[in-house]
Amino acid sequence: MEIDSEKIQQRKLSDYNNLQDERFEIQKEMYRGQQYSQIYFARLHLMRTLLYSLAPTWKPHLPVCKVLGLEEGKECIIVGTLFKHMKLKPCVLDEYSKERSVTPLVKPHNFMHPDDHLILEDESGRVKLAGSALSPAIYVTGVVVALHGKETSAGEFFVEDVLEAGLPPQIERPFELKENKYVVLLSGLSIGSSLANPLQFQLLVDHITGHLGDEKEAAQIVHVVIAGNSVEFPRKLISGQNLASKDQSTLYEPIKELDIMLNQIAAGVSVDIMPGLNDPANFALPQQPLNRCLFPGSAPYNTFRSCTNPHSFDVDNIRFLGTSGQNIDDLDKYSEAKSKLDFVERTLRWRHLAPTAPNTLGCYPFTDRDPFLIETCPHVYFVGNQDKFDNRLIKGPEGQLVRLICIPKFCETGIAVAVNLRNLECHTISFSIQLS
Amino acid sequence: MATTAKNMKGFYKQTKNKITGGISKSKPSSSRKVSPKHAATQGSDAAQPAALISHGSVDLNDDYNKEEEMLRQFDMNIAYGPCLGMTRLDRWERALRLEMNPPKEIERLLKTGKVQQDCLWQDEAEALYKHSRAIESHNLVSSSHPGLLC
Repeated sequence: MEIDSEKIQQRKLSDYNNLQDERFEIQKEMYRGQQYSQIYFARLHLMRTLLYSLAPTWKPHLPVCKVLGLEEGKECIIVGTLFKHMKLKPCVLDEYSKERSVTPLVKPHNFMHPDDHLILEDESGRVKLAGSALSPAIYVTGVVVALHGKETSAGEFFVEDVLEAGLPPQIERPFELKENKYVVLLSGLSIGSSLANPLQFQLLVDHITGHLGDEKEAAQIVHVVIAGNSVEFPRKLISGQNLASKDQSTLYEPIKELDIMLNQIAAGVSVDIMPGLNDPANFALPQQPLNRCLFPGSAPYNTFRSCTNPHSFDVDNIRFLGTSGQNIDDLDKYSEAKSKLDFVERTLRWRHLAPTAPNTLGCYPFTDRDPFLIETCPHVYFVGNQDKFDNRLIKGPEGQLVRLICIPKFCETGIAVAVNLRNLECHTISFSIQLS
Repeated sequence: MATTAKNMKGFYKQTKNKITGGISKSKPSSSRKVSPKHAATQGSDAAQPAALISHGSVDLNDDYNKEEEMLRQFDMNIAYGPCLGMTRLDRWERALRLEMNPPKEIERLLKTGKVQQDCLWQDEAEALYKHSRAIESHNLVSSSHPGLLC
């Protein structure tokens, strides 16, 4: 039989490393009964050192003081952690209170209320914030900012101006790469759910591995990242009762299917899989990598990597940073914005991936560091499991250039995102199956 | 009977009580006054937090010396953050890493091993933690646990 004489396309090569992910791993951490005050302290201290260094260039003539050092009428700068007092925020004590007038029976998607107000807190004390410079609708508990203002006779701090940490410094992007190389981002496969269409995912896998006939395009894909919610377990089986062996194998089906597909991808291109909210990983952020035992077919490949959530990696010296969406979804519950990208941009300007952790987002109680602080600006910042695809290019004051991407759920939209390493542009790859 | 000031001090300051089993800690046990409890008796004590059980005598002079005083000042210094949930040495090392220049005296003292490695209230906090875990395990046994991985 004559072998096809067309030239076999070689997949493009690229350098990869994910050394930054070390800070998201908790194997070395030991729980000694510590509370979340430790992580808040670490966050405040590190951010405050940073803001103190920025304050002189911002408002050089003003003194900086602590909350306890506030004097009435004295204009100064204070730095602390914001706390947003929210009327509708679900509180565990509500279960014990007799009257339930404020808490509605139906859980709202968003817990905002016009009466929400902000408080600034540091280790010496807290002060209520007044004035319209700081909008409670935008800020959430856990953000560290510097505020310029003065104490009023009512004992509140009237805010005149706000200083956020701003975009962190960025490593310079390597000079123009000659060729187009793509990193494919997808999330929300939800294999095992009724929404997921196995044919759609199979088409995507075939496209990436070049079996759909477009080898030239597929050869330009150098890396694939799956950002969370890859499986969905049948909820009715998880009821705490012992499972019959038939049910046990039904429970395991989605993971088996995922492994088969990942095997196909890993055989051709390097792939990272991140855990999401519905995946069999720990609940609190940072989520630890999915166990390699779940992927007996794919794990032997050195192109297969099980990663943490959040996940940070470099491809050809282009820094990627991303999460499976829990941080942005939580911001959506406690603040508002015109688009999800606004939330993403805010987390970058606040230099913190998940400011609402540990307040409303589960988090490991670190004692000596806050791993969610963004120290170097990524070139691509992605968030998975969003409702629709969206992207934005933002520029920083020091020449930083970041592509923000909201990856839509694949099971609902059939859309994956491809980012071009050469120019940080991104486009969608969408698959739809219409059976007429 | 009215509590005199002396008794109040005794009320707050208890000799350390270590319940064997449970969370293992990497601490030199020689530095603590230990009255180890056999595992068999753990059940009855787990029902009451150690804070409510005062053990041993009121030792005003032993611990209350200059070195302990210096360490307590270190514990109470807010600049170095909360003291609960960390050993003093870990907190000192954190302060060092965060570039707060903690006094080297403290590190020297802590490394001699002759002083308490935890802050004063650590044991009460731990006792409460173990107490709540005991309650939790009771609940786990009696009701179904819906989590897939926990």
